[in-house]
Amino acid sequence: MTVYSIIVALGVVATALFIAGFARGLRNAIAEYRSAQPEPNEVPSDTFSVTAAISVVASSIVIALAGFSPKFIYLGPFLVLGTAAACGLAFFLEKRAKR
Amino acid sequence: MDKSIFTTNAALTPALGYSTMIGLGLFSLALAYIVRLYLVRNTHDFIIADRRIGFGFGVGSVIAVWTWAMAVMMSSAMTYQWGLSGLFWFVVPNGIAVMAMVPFARILRRNMPEGYTISEFIALRFQQSKVATGIVTVTMVFGIILEILINLKGTSVVVSTVFSIDWRVATIVGIVCVLAYSYFGGLWTSVMTGTLNTLMITVPAAIVVVAVYDRIPGGAEAVFSAVGAADQRNLSVLRPDAAAGFGITLAFGLLAATVADQTFWQKVWAIKSRDVSRTFLWAGALFYPIPICLGMLGLVGIGYGLVPSDFGGDIAAVGPYIVSHIGLPLTLILLYVLVILAACYSTIDGASAALSSIVAVDIVKRYFPGTSESKLFVITKLSVLAGGVIATVIVLAGIDFTTLVLTTYALKTSVLLPLVFAILWPRTNTIGFVGGIVLAILIGMPIYQFVGELSGTLAIVAISGLTVIVAGLLKPQAFDIASLKDANGATSAPTAGE
Repeated sequence: MTVYSIIVALGVVATALFIAGFARGLRNAIAEYRSAQPEPNEVPSDTFSVTAAISVVASSIVIALAGFSPKFIYLGPFLVLGTAAACGLAFFLEKRAKR
Repeated sequence: MDKSIFTTNAALTPALGYSTMIGLGLFSLALAYIVRLYLVRNTHDFIIADRRIGFGFGVGSVIAVWTWAMAVMMSSAMTYQWGLSGLFWFVVPNGIAVMAMVPFARILRRNMPEGYTISEFIALRFQQSKVATGIVTVTMVFGIILEILINLKGTSVVVSTVFSIDWRVATIVGIVCVLAYSYFGGLWTSVMTGTLNTLMITVPAAIVVVAVYDRIPGGAEAVFSAVGAADQRNLSVLRPDAAAGFGITLAFGLLAATVADQTFWQKVWAIKSRDVSRTFLWAGALFYPIPICLGMLGLVGIGYGLVPSDFGGDIAAVGPYIVSHIGLPLTLILLYVLVILAACYSTIDGASAALSSIVAVDIVKRYFPGTSESKLFVITKLSVLAGGVIATVIVLAGIDFTTLVLTTYALKTSVLLPLVFAILWPRTNTIGFVGGIVLAILIGMPIYQFVGELSGTLAIVAISGLTVIVAGLLKPQAFDIASLKDANGATSAPTAGE
């Protein structure tokens, strides 16, 4: 199996997850708007500095690795599919609106 | 590696180019119709989406507005110019700039839960100072117009290059497509189409980049060897000349592009309060792979020994040139064009939505508080068209917009630290805020123009920050940011359900 066919297959999976999430998000948004329930104004105090630092270091390492072996040139394309999948996943982490 | 692999594809006709542009516009228009039907009834919905944007739409839309058409191309261009060091300095500050919004967003959303714009915060923070508010409002408007025209220009260049369309016609078709759907649903439309555009940017980017390497005899191994043979420094991320050449200047510019930009502040107040912080964190982290992936096209350019004259002289065109000339199937070339169009459309509609919030809150309701809701709704929607028309006229007139770029850069970079201090440091006063911005422009910009970008940027940041600190120490104010909650009632912002 070539890298290209793996990327296409994973791309289809990421797209499916994204679209499923988008559809859920759209239904949620309309249901919430119709319910007219007031949204709470609390902003959580979670600190994200460690996660942010990890993502910065990880991205730097991914770029640096492309200078060590040609295999790592393909890391970017695989990771960008992760971006699409994670965006889809984000919709499923939302609280479902009451209908 | 043999450059003769690059040939023109005769199937890329103007008709195909128009179909791609208009097709994406019509698809977005259909979505905008659904949004208009179910989610938008008044100005409040139009400019702030009733503060109900959830986590998924938040993440997707922030990534989309941050992925400019030029960013898609510049990631390849910077890699082509500086090797992996160029990609490193282009990519790393980009994600940090988005995540840097988290602490500021958290403070203002918590203390000013009913906010709409950053100028509105400045008005409340500095006792309705017309000068302070005016400077910030003008900065935001300039920034938005610039976002629209740069994306419009970038797209027209790519579409005209790939499909041999007159760039002026491409500009008009592009802006009509975006404004047609942006006009209907405001922020909700921008958020939903932007989220879908994130899908259209990511998956096609992965497929196209791998397809390009698949097409090259010897694949990634051949490119890797040729890049190293051209100059071993291309494979290192530690070139100091890349940092000094553009990296540090870009880092400050990018920070100013988020923290001093209403496009992002509008989302701070529109996303559900419990999701604001994690939205910007996820968006920043998930943005990283996009330029990393597209940057790999720059290595192909180095590997083949392409020179700027091969693709019209502008290094931004290296990615589009490789994709459209290396012999990929037509579908894949169209996918790449879709990546650029999606990046362009989502940034323009995000900027247009931000402009509508400024017009409604910082201009109409501030200076004409008696305006009725129905009139305000119409004006707000028309402002979306006005921003697009102004940007289009500037692009079509062929005016060198270097002056606009420099003015916006000066304003945004000068506003950055004073704004940060205004949020974080209670002692910040009006004199320090205004003085910091004015002095930074008066002294820093000549340094920027006559000494160099790096010295100028550092001077602007240092002068603006130091002025705020000195003024705050000499005449300290004791501002209680929690008082913004009480002041919210005084804000002349549009209200829901009017």
